[in-house]
Amino acid sequence: MSCSPFDLRDYLLGELAETERRQVDVHVRSCGGCQEEMERLRITQSTLLELRDEEVPQRIGFVSDPVFEPSGTRRFWQAFWSSGPKLGFASAAMLSGALLIFTFLRPVAAVPPVTAASVDTARIEQQVSDRVAVEVRKAVAESEARQQKKTAELLAAADQRHEQQLRAFVANVSYLQKQYNVMAHATYEPGSLR
Amino acid sequence: MILRAVEDTDLIRKACRGDVEAYNLLISRWEKRVYNYLLRIAGDREEALDLSQDVFLKAYQNLRKLDDPARFAPWLFRIAHNEAFSAFRKRRPDREAPGSSDFAADEIATAHTPVFPIELSIAVTTALSKLPEEQREAVILKIYQGFKFEEMAEILSCPVSTVKSRLYAALDVLKMQLAPLKSRGVT
Repeated sequence: MSCSPFDLRDYLLGELAETERRQVDVHVRSCGGCQEEMERLRITQSTLLELRDEEVPQRIGFVSDPVFEPSGTRRFWQAFWSSGPKLGFASAAMLSGALLIFTFLRPVAAVPPVTAASVDTARIEQQVSDRVAVEVRKAVAESEARQQKKTAELLAAADQRHEQQLRAFVANVSYLQKQYNVMAHATYEPGSLR
Repeated sequence: MILRAVEDTDLIRKACRGDVEAYNLLISRWEKRVYNYLLRIAGDREEALDLSQDVFLKAYQNLRKLDDPARFAPWLFRIAHNEAFSAFRKRRPDREAPGSSDFAADEIATAHTPVFPIELSIAVTTALSKLPEEQREAVILKIYQGFKFEEMAEILSCPVSTVKSRLYAALDVLKMQLAPLKSRGVT
């Protein structure tokens, strides 16, 4: 088991970053166990690499044969169907076209024709004006009735107040008359009229 | 005028437009790697060559589906992996998976001429053939093809953690078998 900060196999296989490699280098220099393990791994790798690559016994190559070569149209369709963006764009274009065609060719809902015989505008206008006049008269009458009733109430209240004031005035006059008589009787001296 | 080397991505774009010569040039760059990958998996030159041709044919047919030309290598090896395992299933339909551990060194040693005559190479071939198929393929992709763990996960359609566990298990076994061998100086 290695005590290296990073896996020695990763080091050997070139999977460590430069900083990590430096840390492993420092550690291996000071650790005998890791030195031995690193040496065994190096020997293993170099032994594996003794197995050299072979040359290909026969060159691989293709020839362009017009008989088997797809036509330009076929190539276009193959490229078209194998391309997601192209298919997406074509779908969007078709949808837009369908919407436009539908917008311009959509049948307009039929409106029933208006005939002179079916509509008597003069009669309708007369009926409307009659109803308006009736409603106006009714509203005016109600308003006048309310005004008259209010006026009568005000007059009755004014009469009542006037009656009360008059009574109060008469009472005051009577009182003053009595006071005057009392005073006159108190100042009367027999023979003074002579 | 600026001259630059023709890159794989240039060839892929040309091949996508139907340029067969560009594709042949692309094949010439990759055929050795693909052939040796399949050779180490299949253990048979003829089968490896047939599979290589199938791989490049399938790759040409599906080249337009390759979204990122920079990811051509893992994509190509993914096809190679699928073709190889499909062929194994057809060849041995009774086997549940080509990676079964019963695919042992004896099978290669008796059924096929050893691929490499040198002693150490035979020892390596034997040691590799004793590994379960999945572990062997992980070793081949990492040690011989130099793929990163993420690329291996893409090729094998499995998580990186699975790739690492397969590879580490294989390395532990190979270390036990090969390190003493070389130390004793077999070569």
